[in-house]
Amino acid sequence: MFPFLIRRFFQSIPTLLLASVLIFFVISLAPGDFLTPARLNPGISEQQLANLSASFGLDKPAYVQYFYWMRNMIFHGDFGLSFQYTQPVLPVIWPRIVNSVYLVLLNLVFFYAIAIPIGVYGAVRQNSFGDKAINVVLYFLLGFPSFFLFLIVIYLILNIRNATGWDIPLGGMTSGNYDQLSSLGQFWDVLRHLLIPALVLAVTDAAGLTRVIRGLMLEVMRSDYIRTARAKGVSESSAIWKHTFRNAILPIVAGIGGLLPAAISGAGFVEVVYAYPGITPMLLTAITASDLYLIAGFTVISTILLIIGNALSDILLAVVDPRIKVG
Amino acid sequence: MKKALLLALAMTATTSMAAPFIYPAAWTAEQNTANKRGGEFRDFIISDFKTSNPFTSAEADSIPITMEAGAGLFIQDPRNDEFIPKMAAGPAVVSNNNKRFVVKIRPDMKFSDGQAITAEDWITTWKIHTDDKVGSNSYDSFFINDKPVTIKKIDNLTLQFDFPSQSSTALATMSFTPWPDHVFGKAYKAGGAEAVKKLWGLGTNASEIVSPGMWVLESYRAGERAVFKKNTNFGAWNTDSKGNALPYLDKYSYRVVADQNAGLAAYLAGQIDTFGVRNADDLAQIKKAIDGGNLKAYLKANVSPQAQSSWITFNWNKASDPAKQTLFRDVRFRRAMSHIANRQAMIQLALGGLGTENYFSVYPIFKSQIDAGIAAGAPRYQYDLSQATKLLAQLGYTKKNAQGYLTGKDGKVLEFNMATNAGNTTREQLGRIFTDEAKKVGVKVNFTPIDFNTLVGQLTSKGENRPFDAILLGLANGTNTWPFGVNVVPCGTNLHSFNNPTDGKCATSQEQLMTKLFYQGQAELNTAKRLAIGAQIMKAEGELQPVIYLVGNNYHVTFNSRVSGEFPATLMDGYYESRNVALTFIK
Repeated sequence: MFPFLIRRFFQSIPTLLLASVLIFFVISLAPGDFLTPARLNPGISEQQLANLSASFGLDKPAYVQYFYWMRNMIFHGDFGLSFQYTQPVLPVIWPRIVNSVYLVLLNLVFFYAIAIPIGVYGAVRQNSFGDKAINVVLYFLLGFPSFFLFLIVIYLILNIRNATGWDIPLGGMTSGNYDQLSSLGQFWDVLRHLLIPALVLAVTDAAGLTRVIRGLMLEVMRSDYIRTARAKGVSESSAIWKHTFRNAILPIVAGIGGLLPAAISGAGFVEVVYAYPGITPMLLTAITASDLYLIAGFTVISTILLIIGNALSDILLAVVDPRIKVG
Repeated sequence: MKKALLLALAMTATTSMAAPFIYPAAWTAEQNTANKRGGEFRDFIISDFKTSNPFTSAEADSIPITMEAGAGLFIQDPRNDEFIPKMAAGPAVVSNNNKRFVVKIRPDMKFSDGQAITAEDWITTWKIHTDDKVGSNSYDSFFINDKPVTIKKIDNLTLQFDFPSQSSTALATMSFTPWPDHVFGKAYKAGGAEAVKKLWGLGTNASEIVSPGMWVLESYRAGERAVFKKNTNFGAWNTDSKGNALPYLDKYSYRVVADQNAGLAAYLAGQIDTFGVRNADDLAQIKKAIDGGNLKAYLKANVSPQAQSSWITFNWNKASDPAKQTLFRDVRFRRAMSHIANRQAMIQLALGGLGTENYFSVYPIFKSQIDAGIAAGAPRYQYDLSQATKLLAQLGYTKKNAQGYLTGKDGKVLEFNMATNAGNTTREQLGRIFTDEAKKVGVKVNFTPIDFNTLVGQLTSKGENRPFDAILLGLANGTNTWPFGVNVVPCGTNLHSFNNPTDGKCATSQEQLMTKLFYQGQAELNTAKRLAIGAQIMKAEGELQPVIYLVGNNYHVTFNSRVSGEFPATLMDGYYESRNVALTFIK
C-alpha cells in the first residue's frame, strides 16, 4: 500500500503542473483583466490604474505571474490573492465551499437512497409496468437542465406558499432571524432550506445511476453462482442484496473517488437559481470579473482532491473486491 | 442669582459646544411625528460583499460605504447642492488665494467603540489612501492634476488642508470619511500598506469593526446577508429638527441576490424594501403587483434622467486607412451621424419610453449646466435625415449603388464597422436602430457586438493606428459640482476616445480650447462662473461633435410602503436618489 501511495504521489506532480499551466494561461490569455471595467471610469487616473496594476502584479508578463504564483503555492501554501476581495484565496472560498459541501452531501444521501432501490427494483422486476413507468419519468427528468426544472419547482412552491401560507423557503441557506435561533433551531433552519434543492437534484440525476445499477444487477443475477445460491435455498432477499448487489456495485465503488472534488465543486446552477451561498455563484462572479487567482486557486484545489479521491477509490476497491490488490 | 446666571451660562456654553448636526426637516416628505423607533431597512446587493476594509474596497455598495453614512466634514444639501458642515464645527476658514482651508472639527464625536474622533483620524486616513501600495479607490481624489493635496493637524480638533491649486471640488475632497487611527494607524505604523490591507477582511469578526458613521456591522454571512446595527454614538451628535437622536432605525440589512431579476423577485415578494428599477419591464411588474394588491409600495416613474449616457465615438487615429481617417476627422460627417441618430426611436424601442435624449458629455440630470450650455448656444444636431443627406453630399457622397448605399467618387461604398459589448441588449438595440436609420440615407454600418474586455481594450488604446472604426458604449459617474470627466475632456487622457495618438496631442483647436476650459472650470469656485465655463465647453463640444451622444435611462423610485421618511418628490433624483437613511423610519 505504501509504495502505491508513493507512486501515486509522484505521478500526480506532472498532472498538477499541466493542469495549473492550462488553467492559468487559459484565463490570462483571455482579453482584458480585472482592471478593464475600471478603465471605463471617467474618474480614475492612469496613475491610479498603474498603481493598482502593480499592486495586483498585473503589470508583469503572464509567465512571470505564473512563476510567482507557483512559488507561493509550493513554498507557502498560498493560492494567491483574490483581486475582488483583496484577501488570500483560501479564506475567501472556504465558507462557500463548506456551504456547498452541506448541499452536496445531503443531495448524495437522497441520490443513493433513490437510485439504488429503484435500480434493484428495475432488475428484479425487469420490464414490468413499474420498471418502465419509472424509467420514463426518470429519463424525462434527466433530459431537463436541472436549473430549469428548479425554476419550475420554485414557481410551484411559490403557488403552494400563496395558497396555504406555509413558510416553505424559496431560496438561500438561512432565514432572516437565523442569528436569533437556538443551535437546534439553526440546524433545522439550514436543513429546511437544503431539503428541496437536495431532493430535486437527486431525483433529476437518479436516472443515470439507476440505469447502471439495473444493468449490473441483471448481469450478475444471470451468473451461475446466483443460480447456485438460489438452488441452495437462499432466501430471495439474501440472494438479491447479499449475493447480487454486493457484486454488482463494484464499478460504482470505483467511481466514488470522483465525489471528493464533486463535493467541493458545488451543485452547479441550482445554487445560482436557489440563491444558495455555495461556491458556484462565487466562481461565476470571479470568471466575469477575471479574478484570476480565485479561479486558478480553486481549480488547483479541486484537482488535488480529484487525485486524492482517485487514490482513495482504488484503495476502497481493493477492500471491497478481494481479487484486486494495490501495491 | 449669580449662581443661576452662571448655571445658565454654563448650560449655553455646553450646548453650543456640543450642538449636534440637525438633519433639516425639509429632507423628508413625512415627519416622524409619532416618533417611531426601531425596525430594519432591508436592502439588496448583487453577488456579494467583498471586504469590510475601507482602503481596499472598490464597490459602490460596500460594507464601509454603508457604515460611513453621515460621516464627513461636509455634506451636500440636495435642495441647493451646497456643502454644509457635518463633522466640521462650522464653515472652513479660507486663505492663501482659496487654496488653504482650516477646518474646526465638531468636538465630542465618538467612534462606535467609544474612542473619540480627532484630527489624527483624518491624517491617518489621508496617509493610507495616498499610499500607492495600498491601491485605494480614493487615491485620485487627493491629487489635482497629479499634484497632491496635503493635510496638517493644527491641534486635536483642527485640520489644515492645502490644495496645490484652486479647486471647485475642494469641499467634496475634504469630506472623506475618517477611519480610526487606533486601528489603521497602528497597523500602518507597524507593517505599512501590507498590514493595512490585511485588516477587516470578510472573515474578521464583526465586533472588531469600528465605524465613525451611522451604522456598524453586526453580522455577515458569506453570500447571504449583512446586517448593520445603528451606531449609538452617532446619535449623540446627529438629531432630527426636534432634537431626537438619529437614525430612527435599529438596523440596515442587505440580502445578497444573484442578479437584478432575483432582486426584483425578492422585492415583489415583500422581502426587501427597495429596488433599483431598470426598465419598463420592471416597472410593469411592480405596477402589476401593486394593482393586484400583492404589494403595498410607492412607485414613481421617470423621476429624473440618470447620471449616464450612451454614445458613439469615431476613431481619428487610423493610419492604416487614410480614407476612413479623413472621413472620421471631417466634422460634417460626424454632424451627419448625429442627424442620423433617431433618439426618440431609441427611447421608445430600446428603453421602453423611459429615457432622455443626450447631446453632450454632460448628463442631462445636471440640468443647470445643460441649461447654461444651451443658453450659450451649444448646438444640438437633432434627428433629421435630409440634413444628414445634405452633409454627406458635401463630402462627395451623392450617388447610390444598386443596394441603395452611397458611393464616393472612387466607387467605394460609404461604410464603417461599429462595435458594442455583447450581452448588453440595450446597447445592441441602440446600435441596430442607428444602423437602420443609417441605411435610409445610404450609409452602411457593419454593427457587431464583441466581448466587453476586448472592446474596452480597443477604446482605450493609444497610437496612430488604433484598432476600431466606431464604438457604441456608455459612461456613468461624475459629480454635479464640475460634471466634466477628468479622464474624458483633456487631450491625451484614457477616455479621450476619439483621438488618442502616442504623444497625446490635440488634433483640433476645439480640443485645445476644451482642455484649457476644463482646467479653468475645475479651479473656478464661483458657481455661476463655473457654469459659464462649462457652457463654453459644451458649445465647443457641440460644434466639434467628437462623440455622438445618444440617450440615457431615466431614474425611477420604488420602495415598500412600510418604510417612510423619503425625500419630498422635488428632491428625488438620480444623483441624490430617494432618501436620507437617517430620517427613514418604519411606519
